[in-house]
Amino acid sequence: MSGGVTHQLSGRRALQFFPRRGTPFSVLEFLLLIVCISLAGVGLPQNLQDVAVLTFLWAGLALAWNIAGGYAGLISFGHAAFFGIGAYTSTILFVRAGITPWIGIWCGAVLTGAFGALLALICARLRGPFLILSTLAAAEVVRIGALNWASLTGGPEGLSIPPVPGVANMVFASKATYVVIMLLFLLGVYAITKFLEGSRYGYYLFSVRDDADAASAAGVNPLAVRTAAMALSAGLTGIGGSLFAQYFLYLDPTFVISPEISFQFALLAAVGGLGTAIGPVLGSFLITPMSELLRSYLGSQAAGLHLVIYSALLIVVMLYFPGGIAGALARLAGRRNKP
Amino acid sequence: MSAIVTIADVSHRFGSLWAVRDVSFSVERGELLGLIGPNGAGKSTLFNLIAGALIPTQGEIVFDGQNVSHWRSHHIARVGIARTFQIPKPYRQLSVVENVMLTAFQRERSISRARSLAIETLADVGLKDYVDVPVTALTVGLLKRLEVARALAMRPKLVLFDEIMAGLTPTEVATMTKFVGGLPARGITVIWVEHVLYAIMKTASRIMVLNRGELIANGEPAEVARDPAVVKAYLGEDMNLA
Amino acid sequence: MSTFGQLVLSGIFIGSIYALMSMGLTLIFGVLRIVNFAHGEFLMLGMYGAWAITRLFGLNPYVAAIAVVPAMFLFGAIVHQLVVRPGLDKPHLVVVFATMGLSIFMQNVALMIMTADLWDVAPIFSRSVTIGPFYFKAELLLGFVVTIVCTFFLRWLIRTTYLGKAIRATVQDGEAAMLMGIPVPRIFLITFAGGSALVGLAACIMMPLFSVFPTVGLNFVLIAFVIVVLGGMGSIEGALLGGICIGVVQSLSSYYVAPAYGQMFYFILFLLVMIFRPNGLLGQKGAATIGIND
Repeated sequence: MSGGVTHQLSGRRALQFFPRRGTPFSVLEFLLLIVCISLAGVGLPQNLQDVAVLTFLWAGLALAWNIAGGYAGLISFGHAAFFGIGAYTSTILFVRAGITPWIGIWCGAVLTGAFGALLALICARLRGPFLILSTLAAAEVVRIGALNWASLTGGPEGLSIPPVPGVANMVFASKATYVVIMLLFLLGVYAITKFLEGSRYGYYLFSVRDDADAASAAGVNPLAVRTAAMALSAGLTGIGGSLFAQYFLYLDPTFVISPEISFQFALLAAVGGLGTAIGPVLGSFLITPMSELLRSYLGSQAAGLHLVIYSALLIVVMLYFPGGIAGALARLAGRRNKP
Repeated sequence: MSAIVTIADVSHRFGSLWAVRDVSFSVERGELLGLIGPNGAGKSTLFNLIAGALIPTQGEIVFDGQNVSHWRSHHIARVGIARTFQIPKPYRQLSVVENVMLTAFQRERSISRARSLAIETLADVGLKDYVDVPVTALTVGLLKRLEVARALAMRPKLVLFDEIMAGLTPTEVATMTKFVGGLPARGITVIWVEHVLYAIMKTASRIMVLNRGELIANGEPAEVARDPAVVKAYLGEDMNLA
Repeated sequence: MSTFGQLVLSGIFIGSIYALMSMGLTLIFGVLRIVNFAHGEFLMLGMYGAWAITRLFGLNPYVAAIAVVPAMFLFGAIVHQLVVRPGLDKPHLVVVFATMGLSIFMQNVALMIMTADLWDVAPIFSRSVTIGPFYFKAELLLGFVVTIVCTFFLRWLIRTTYLGKAIRATVQDGEAAMLMGIPVPRIFLITFAGGSALVGLAACIMMPLFSVFPTVGLNFVLIAFVIVVLGGMGSIEGALLGGICIGVVQSLSSYYVAPAYGQMFYFILFLLVMIFRPNGLLGQKGAATIGIND
């Protein structure tokens, strides 16, 4: 009389198609890895290389957001602040102090991590839309601050990185190099995510997400767990921001610290499947190329048409597939694995 | 002094309502103490106070020689007090065994050992067949047993059971009663809030009765059952139970 | 000193208009327990409607309200049935994303149809109104009066009519309300549509004071959120109080500090409220720490 699908978390040696929490490897992950590596290695045409760079970067950023949003249950619509702080920190250190971005990125990560912890402490008691709105407000405060603190950030004119290629500058002439860098970022964040979800800390995260009172009664400190998750999520987002700066070579507060970007992180994770490792990756792999291609083919014809299609799709997916792509695939896989 | 927990003059107020008033008692190691009383008597509040979910407005709670009155629930859990929730609070996106593993982590740091401990505990309460089932598939009765398993997986010194019998069939009640009765022998002290009176009157070595926030009786089950104050609290003024 | 007085008073008046714009949002939150992230776009739609009727029929936006308000009620009803209702029994994030998707959808449809240009209506009143040493645009004063009237009307509605009582019952305990025979799904529909109608009214009031363009909603929706949170989600009087606070803060900080920082001030105010009084000035105790679907 056991109801529902049986998850075999241990003991089953055969390789599964679909990734399951706790198992290190699955067929799907292996296939995706092969695809990514080939995309990075093969010579793609210019515009597709652009798409690949952005797809990998956004996948990594969506995964980073997912640690707070999907695993810890802290739905934040303010992560663009971390993205921006990371980007600006490494860029300012490089452009004004000559510190190589290879080091600057880590400074950015530490600073954003600290901001993440601070935000978690400020919003400690808030849930639901109160949390969402507070993170939004906090990001707006950062954006307006960055916009007006022109001596530091260059204000509305923005900040540029001189397009001088060189390994020490972390600026590269060939886009293919960027594709590899972004892929490494994605793989790094993915590895961290997988490690987290299979570890004791992952369980603590899920317990606090699902029922903080019960978790507390089990000896887990919800505030500490949430703060650590937010700090990690923020730091990784900051790294992504720095990498973005090195690719785009231009930063401007209105674009970089915008609610649209915050929304994008959450969207990719939610459409792909919150709370799974593969979800945000699938979300980005589906949405980023589609949105870039829609933008280039339709954007010129009718301003906004690509966003109309994109948003209509979003509404439909969210209402009818709340578990995202990963959820839908898992249900399919579950049906196949049932004896 | 072998008292494992001492409650001294504890009172708690919600706004202008005193939910618990000047309650004092102590529990000996290895006791199975029952706590009964009509609805609204303050039993759950008392539990929340002991478990650290609430901080008493007045009074002191001493556990194992330490003053834990102002400790929060996760600290209290870590020194060995476990509790169940009257309305089960499972981790909805996890499986049954994973729900228990969270508490098991208090004893075992490694995932595989925590899992073994969790499976053992699940077997103890008769949930062995549900190990990898998603917790959302469970009925209320099974969820109550899961609550018990979660509490016991941390091998606590003191466990607070909050109405674990509600929703169980008579057979299940009998099994669970026997199970709880065996806990003191395993070195676990129990404070048990219950409405299913025959189970608790049979098993507990001592019964306390709470009414309107005050302790009105504290003694052996047979005595307490005959105590007119207790009868009045449950049944009202003019009842005469021979 | 009279500058200060002028600033405070005009802050109160504009703040009340912001409050009118936010009342729909707070009602929807109080009853349905969701945040309509497309709220700003509803305002934009109402403003375009008011503008179009004014231009096409040579009327003014206040008269256009006769058409805009019912039209927005209908629009709200449709959105509720198609976008909100399917998400109500699902995890909270679903409605958040669905309404955000709607927001982007509406912005871009507007962009395609109306282009990114700013559209205005001609000023309705030729002179300002003078009160003592202060002078105000008549449109501003009229907006203030409409808001006050509206607040009293809503108070009366909620406190005396059966509908109002049904709404209050639903806010307190949806399940119990259903068991008492209150058609909760219909209450949800009426509230959402009614909140949208309120936004339509606010749009007509605001059209003489602001230009309309596809992303005009973004400016105002954040203000609306701040007001709703400040005033306490679900409280009409709270929205009025919150709106006035924000109006005054904005008015004073734009003059005494830089205008750019004006926006930052009310976000910081918002965060301070969230930290120290998360239920807002007049909200339900515990609302913020419970969230909604927890």
